[in-house]
Amino acid sequence: MKNRPAPGFLQRKALPRRTFLRGLGTAAIGLPFLDAMAPALRASTVPDAPVRMAFFYVPNGIIMDGWNPSYEGKLQELPRALKSLEPFKEDILQIGNLTHNTGRALLDGPGDHGRCCGSYLTGVQVKKSLVEIKSGVSFDQIVAKEVGGKTRFPSLELGMEDARQAGDCDSGYSCAYTNNLAWSSETQPLPPMLDPRSLFERMFGKSQKMTPAERARQSMYRRSILDFVTEDTHKLESNLGPSDRRKLDEYLSSIREVERQLERAEKDTRRIDPDLEKPYGIPADFAEHFKLMSDMVTIAFQADQTRVVTFLMTHEGSSRPYRELDIPDGHHPLTHHRNQPELMEKVRRINEYHVKQFAGFVEKMKAAKEGDRSLLDNCMIVYGAGLSDGNAHLHEDLPTIMVGRGGNYFKTGRRVLARRETPMCNLFMTMMDRMGVHVENFGDSTGRLEGLDLA
Amino acid sequence: MQLEFTRAKTPTGVFFDSDFATIDNLLAMALLFGLQGKNECRVAIVTMSRPNLAVAGFIDTVQRFYRGPAGNFAQVPPVGMRTVGAGGETSPAFTVPFDKRKLDGTPVYKNEVKRVIETGDPNTLFRNYLEAQYDQHAFVVLSGPATNLAAALDFPRMKDLIASKVQHLVVAGGAFPNGPVERHIQADIPAAKKLFAEWPTPIVASGYEVGSALEFPGASIDKEFAAAVPDNPVADAYRAYKQMPYDSPSWAMSAALYGARPTEGYFKLSGTGAISVRDDGRTAFAPSESGRHRYLMVDPAQKDRILAAYVELASAKPTSPRRFRPPDAAAKDAAKQVQKDPADPADKPEQ
Repeated sequence: MKNRPAPGFLQRKALPRRTFLRGLGTAAIGLPFLDAMAPALRASTVPDAPVRMAFFYVPNGIIMDGWNPSYEGKLQELPRALKSLEPFKEDILQIGNLTHNTGRALLDGPGDHGRCCGSYLTGVQVKKSLVEIKSGVSFDQIVAKEVGGKTRFPSLELGMEDARQAGDCDSGYSCAYTNNLAWSSETQPLPPMLDPRSLFERMFGKSQKMTPAERARQSMYRRSILDFVTEDTHKLESNLGPSDRRKLDEYLSSIREVERQLERAEKDTRRIDPDLEKPYGIPADFAEHFKLMSDMVTIAFQADQTRVVTFLMTHEGSSRPYRELDIPDGHHPLTHHRNQPELMEKVRRINEYHVKQFAGFVEKMKAAKEGDRSLLDNCMIVYGAGLSDGNAHLHEDLPTIMVGRGGNYFKTGRRVLARRETPMCNLFMTMMDRMGVHVENFGDSTGRLEGLDLA
Repeated sequence: MQLEFTRAKTPTGVFFDSDFATIDNLLAMALLFGLQGKNECRVAIVTMSRPNLAVAGFIDTVQRFYRGPAGNFAQVPPVGMRTVGAGGETSPAFTVPFDKRKLDGTPVYKNEVKRVIETGDPNTLFRNYLEAQYDQHAFVVLSGPATNLAAALDFPRMKDLIASKVQHLVVAGGAFPNGPVERHIQADIPAAKKLFAEWPTPIVASGYEVGSALEFPGASIDKEFAAAVPDNPVADAYRAYKQMPYDSPSWAMSAALYGARPTEGYFKLSGTGAISVRDDGRTAFAPSESGRHRYLMVDPAQKDRILAAYVELASAKPTSPRRFRPPDAAAKDAAKQVQKDPADPADKPEQ
């Protein structure tokens, strides 16, 4: 007879994974994984921790000599553009030589920016048109359709700049191609949400829209959403151990911090223009905006509100100036530097700046615990671009890093080179497998991307 | 290398697949790039049907020699290389040229392919670069076992793509109207059977007897080749392949020349029919009006003309890459004459 635990020891009823804090006037607040949610004896292990995936896309390519290390294998000193990720290099898989052939002209002439973004997650050559929009279902949406029913939001589409859906954004390519990553059908892009308050309200608040005036009035007397769920919080805390209590406190504090940031941003916006219609409360500061949005991604992943996120840091072909870096020139014109060192230096600084913001997100994801792993360990976060050399508009060797181990599957901390011209869609196939979605092929895939796992 | 601009008709794309087991395959590459210099075709990709990195490295070097360095508007696609099967013999033709030094002691040619990842998968390359061709505006030259092309036929959507893009396939292989087993067919009989049975466009075969009857004049290596460019990797490979002087059969060259200039009357052409491959590897031709296969025959009256074309085209020095634009884009530009972003390399050449 096998050893049996004492009667009652196993009887402790685990807290359901889908436990919410509820309160008047707010949506239910999902919770991160707590030890109390695991059955007894398995308290430190997340039962079937879900794998999540996210894409962070940067436009206009990268100065590749600042991206590609000169070595393969174990990541040593990271190249300049990736320096901010140095503390997390053991969590990074840098993948070289992935190609998006469908981003190339293929007889359609100019318009690499429109094509590269339109094809980035869809793997198809988009139709060159301003009115007859045609792309393909992006692979994040294939995943969202399969696993999205398990979470509050099948997916979240986020961005930070210009969500126009019409007009000519690149040589006859509609802005629908440059301003979206996710496509729910071949004609239906899913525009990114830019406004942090809208995202917050979507995640935690009431669903009805408010005018700026109403929102301003409300915010003057605003109470934290956490105030509305105090009773539930106290009730829950009384049933938690010290470790869970600390975890819950950290989690709720992170929500409160997002609220504070939002309030600060909205105060600034009111100061600038109290009647501003839309977008309301988008911080003028790029870093602050990114932090707000990405903090909410962390919370959404922590609370298992979604498992699929796409994040367009700025739209493809963006000519945003980076005055915060003393760079008044537009990003896109700068990338056509014709190898002039001073222009290239500015692009390098923009590349570094983007990665620096992303590194802040990675830090947060790594700090969030999920059982005996970090939240990051259970994620596949891809950071990359649809062009490699933005000056020459190249579609091969696309800058791609994956952060996180996808549920202890990927062997990170190294640089892996695929064979030249390997389709980017092969990586998507591997990622779909990790998300539990198995398809025969996707886009122009020729198989799975091998050699990334721990085997 | 300066860029030239042209709005002439986009030339036909060429796909060259070979085992590079004999020197005429390198000469055929030189000939195709010579035709590219005359704007008669564009070499899209070169693929190899055996896994041999030393050979792939040299083919890559030859491509770089003709295409110029990678950069804006002039990308050098990787050599496609099969990764399974026997690597086969590595002729000195592919290694000795790398020993050649300039006066300052630095190598004349640099091998940039040391690992499999620096080559490409033949099927993927074939598909990717076919997609960049106008319909019925490409041709394929096969000079080696049919292994790669037979595999391509099983690649998703490839048969349709080939049918829409490729005018014809020219196969350097077999013996016609009948003859002994030919090396290229024998090397992979099942693949050859599949190719002749399933390839969706017309096929023209240049049998063993054609290339054997038209020997490339080796004397041109130290004459026309040397006069055009002092350091030519194809010429140096030719010198290293065998004790000079020698002439070489032109199996691959005859197929390449016909492929690019099918209406020039260099060769006699059989009627239509169907080529099949017997179990022992011998080829057979069955005439039929509805058949899509033909084979080339040597016309003695054209021999000197063909050899002259071989030498002229293969010895030509590399020319600047030309910049091609789709006709609609060119027309739009002519109408507008306005560029939104002059810095944007919006009109890269099609591959």
